[in-house]
Amino acid sequence: MDLLNAFVTLSNFVLIPAIAYGSQLALGALGVTLIYGILRFSNFAHGDTMAFGTMVTILFTWLFQSWGLSLGPVPTALLALPFGILGCMALLLFTDRVVYKFYREQKAKPVILVIVSLGVMFIMNGLVRFIIGPDDQRFSDGERFIVSVRTFREMTGLEEGLAIKTTQGITVITAVIVVAALFWFLNRTRTGKSMRAYSDNEDLALLSGINPERVVMITWLIVAALATVAGVLYGLDKSFKPFTYFQLLLPIFASAIVGGLGSPLGAIAGGFTIAFSEVMVTYAWKKVAGYALPESLAPDGLAQLLSTDYKFAVSFVILLIVLLFRPTGLFAGKSV
Amino acid sequence: MNETLKNTALFGLVAVLIIGTGFLQSWNSALFILNFGLISAIMALGVNLQWGFAGLFNVGIMGFVALGGLATVLVSMPPTTEAWAAGGVGVIVALLMGAATIVVTALVIKRMPAGWMRTVVILVLLIGGFFIYRALFDPSVARIEAINPASTGYLGGINPGGAAWGWMTLLAWPVGGLLAAGVAWIIGKTALGLRSDYLAIATLGIAEIIIAVLKNEDWLSRGVKNVIGLPRPAPYEVELQADPAFLDRAASLGMDPVTASTIWVKLVYAGLFTVVLVILFVLAQRALHSPWGRMMRAIRDNENASEAMGKDVTARHLQVFILGSAICGIAGAMMTTLDGQLTPGTYQPLRFTFLIWVMVIVGGSGNNLGAVLGGFLIWFLWVQVEPMGLFVMQLITSGMADGAPLKTHLIESAAHMRLLTMGLVLLLVLRFSPRGLIPER
Amino acid sequence: MSDNPYKDGRGNKDASIANPKGTGTLSAHPGTGAAMNTQNAFLIGDSMTGGYGNGPDILHDCTVAVDAGEIAVIVGPNGAGKSTAMKAVFGMLNVRQGSVRLDGEDITDLSPQDRVAKGMGFVPQTSNIFTSMTVEENLEMGAFIRRDDFRDTMAQVYDLFPILKEKRRQAAGELSGGQRQQVAVGRALMTRPKVLMLDEPTAGVSPIVMDELFDRIIEVARTGIPILMVEQNARQALEIADKGYVLVQGANAFTGTGKELLADPEVRKSFLGG
Repeated sequence: MDLLNAFVTLSNFVLIPAIAYGSQLALGALGVTLIYGILRFSNFAHGDTMAFGTMVTILFTWLFQSWGLSLGPVPTALLALPFGILGCMALLLFTDRVVYKFYREQKAKPVILVIVSLGVMFIMNGLVRFIIGPDDQRFSDGERFIVSVRTFREMTGLEEGLAIKTTQGITVITAVIVVAALFWFLNRTRTGKSMRAYSDNEDLALLSGINPERVVMITWLIVAALATVAGVLYGLDKSFKPFTYFQLLLPIFASAIVGGLGSPLGAIAGGFTIAFSEVMVTYAWKKVAGYALPESLAPDGLAQLLSTDYKFAVSFVILLIVLLFRPTGLFAGKSV
Repeated sequence: MNETLKNTALFGLVAVLIIGTGFLQSWNSALFILNFGLISAIMALGVNLQWGFAGLFNVGIMGFVALGGLATVLVSMPPTTEAWAAGGVGVIVALLMGAATIVVTALVIKRMPAGWMRTVVILVLLIGGFFIYRALFDPSVARIEAINPASTGYLGGINPGGAAWGWMTLLAWPVGGLLAAGVAWIIGKTALGLRSDYLAIATLGIAEIIIAVLKNEDWLSRGVKNVIGLPRPAPYEVELQADPAFLDRAASLGMDPVTASTIWVKLVYAGLFTVVLVILFVLAQRALHSPWGRMMRAIRDNENASEAMGKDVTARHLQVFILGSAICGIAGAMMTTLDGQLTPGTYQPLRFTFLIWVMVIVGGSGNNLGAVLGGFLIWFLWVQVEPMGLFVMQLITSGMADGAPLKTHLIESAAHMRLLTMGLVLLLVLRFSPRGLIPER
Repeated sequence: MSDNPYKDGRGNKDASIANPKGTGTLSAHPGTGAAMNTQNAFLIGDSMTGGYGNGPDILHDCTVAVDAGEIAVIVGPNGAGKSTAMKAVFGMLNVRQGSVRLDGEDITDLSPQDRVAKGMGFVPQTSNIFTSMTVEENLEMGAFIRRDDFRDTMAQVYDLFPILKEKRRQAAGELSGGQRQQVAVGRALMTRPKVLMLDEPTAGVSPIVMDELFDRIIEVARTGIPILMVEQNARQALEIADKGYVLVQGANAFTGTGKELLADPEVRKSFLGG
């Protein structure tokens, strides 16, 4: 038995990746939940919004790289991120003006808006593939590791190593900053409060003199920022591929629903719930168990519950369990 | 303009488009569009049943279509006897074991009073059941997949005659429907009765899971190694080309034997598909105008009032959800038959779920005729936008120097025009003709 | 022979003693006999006719008004159009005839939001608070259109409703029915309205809470804000009302001071249960 090594292995393969992935999901789910709360529909185009923002960021990253600009150990993409956000904001505001606004004025039923978002999804998906192509793009540069396996071993003298990728560190730090800023905005500023008021009770918000178009516009701006940040972090951590981003829709929706649609806090909790379950269920526990259990009990097989190809199944099963036993989600969202 | 005239004109337009393709491109591609158009029309009928009749938002069509494909493999392929001997029983026992675990757990949830005791029992049952299942399942699967992995490595189907019994494939179509209906029942039981978005998410998820199963469970579907050479109900081109009677006929029509044989095969399929489409269309039409159909629409338009009138809304929704999914399953089986192979890697939600939605919305939700029209029209667009896009791009870039990076990029990216176009078509129809080309009456 | 003895000339047509040109036919029948005296009205919905959207008319020549510093109450049976009249005054109804005037200014064509900006405070009957936000945030949202410092208004609201100060950090949705109504009224007061409109403020609360709410409403009125209120509990409402309007089928049936209406035998018989 060697609990220390077991814990290090666990951290290396489960905890750290899950925290990073959870942060990315949480940021994505925050966008979905904000649109659901304010505009009152589930936005199927969210994955592709993330892809678009990331694509713009990648294009700027390439531009900066060609100029020789860099941030040293930190990926150049962070420098390009604000431009990606701006690009994404422009796209979303444009979409809102030419597409969604009409249906809002018609007071269309939410499900119509969902179908409209399918159309937007097609267009954004096509746009991204048209501009950058359907292939994998890696755009991470700079230092690869904050702590590499080797330095960790040398530092601690342990048998097992622990690596923290730069992208993972950046993901967590960025996510914390973004989430803190978002909550500060929603809970402390007049505009943020007016958004919450509008989400809570549209008629009363109108009576209080809150301008709905302004609320909607700010929502799109925030969603653009969240989606781009989430997309870029995911792309840095793994890689950018339009189809993968489209597929992220499922875990992101699952996170938002598990947490309770419309509840920002829930979106974060949901993101981490889904990420941890996905990573833990698809991780081969052999090594950890080998350290943690007495030798006689150590498993022969990989001790993997499900192959990684079934990670969608994990988010789905968790989603089902939550829906069956607590339909409003962990943090009671809008049960409209 | 009167309605019949307008509808005839719209279908006439589709016919002109397809025949035009025949004259301008080739009859092979025209028939390709026709065959897939027929299948798309059937899928659209199924979705229209769910969305148009009952307002159910199913975004897992791809999963049901894929199940139909799996049914084709399971019914039409010859069994791999060695594989059955090696691990067939083991796999089946393991699956039964898994199912039993779930049933017992469900019973416990229903029968036992809530409390920590129940939670513990459920956890023990599920975790224990899972490990027993894996213990039974894994070795059998390993044995099956070890058998001649290059060509089989899976259990195969139930067709004892193999390629000679091509008609068995026809049986796969209803089986595909049944398989899809079974899965739809499970999803419907859990997700219906909750909010509509939840059905959407549940179907979205189950579709991904079905594809994941097809891709990874090699013992079942050979996974990404694909099952090729499915026995087929239509004659083989090679046989036709060797058949003197057929060669004579081709010669008398002035066609070369290869083209004639491919066209003939496609025509046979077109005939089969048309029969299925007509049967399903008539059934759907009768359902729509029956008291059942009226009740469905009443429920859709005002759930609360219908519930107050004593209609069991959830049960009716479950019915229509199962029916619609079964139709998608049938269409999926037909498509795999037409392809002659099951390739799990090619199932993509944009093509198999969202495109069908575009068909239904554009054609006219709530109208079967509209769904069929949408199926043909959108499928035609889907196929033809690519060459059209390429043409437009060549036109745009004609002024640029050859080899200019922008020109190469634009021409290479022309293929992605179809997604853009589909989105645009959907948005335009929603905006300017929200009830579709042939609106519900 | 007519019933009127004064009109009986008894066949006497002697022009020397009686002017043959006779008397005029014009006679004076001014008003309804129940003068509403709306010339001083601070807020008045004057002879309003209208309904929702393009639907049938619900209000027929209906007039409701409130004078400065008074409480006016609209009562009537179910479906009489009480709340509809209130909504018409607030601009949520298609008023096809008649006008709405606030402090002498015609506001008939203004949107509800603009009326709020003009100084009308409105408390809807249902969903009148932001349930997920704290009490204090509810009040802040009430003051959304104000760009100046509204802390003293908030202090005044807290003085009026001490319980709100106690629960200011609590989500408004967690409060009891009576407390929620106080939040709702408090929210409407945050714009420092020139007139307050309450749509059935005591709907669905217990009798004890109802009494307390009426007390609070009187207190609000004492600060000088005129209040126009729709009430289901006619008797209690008329007791505190300076002016009462009884509506029947979208039209004025009786009008008078609260006391007059309470004393009117017909009003008692039809609406107050004897």
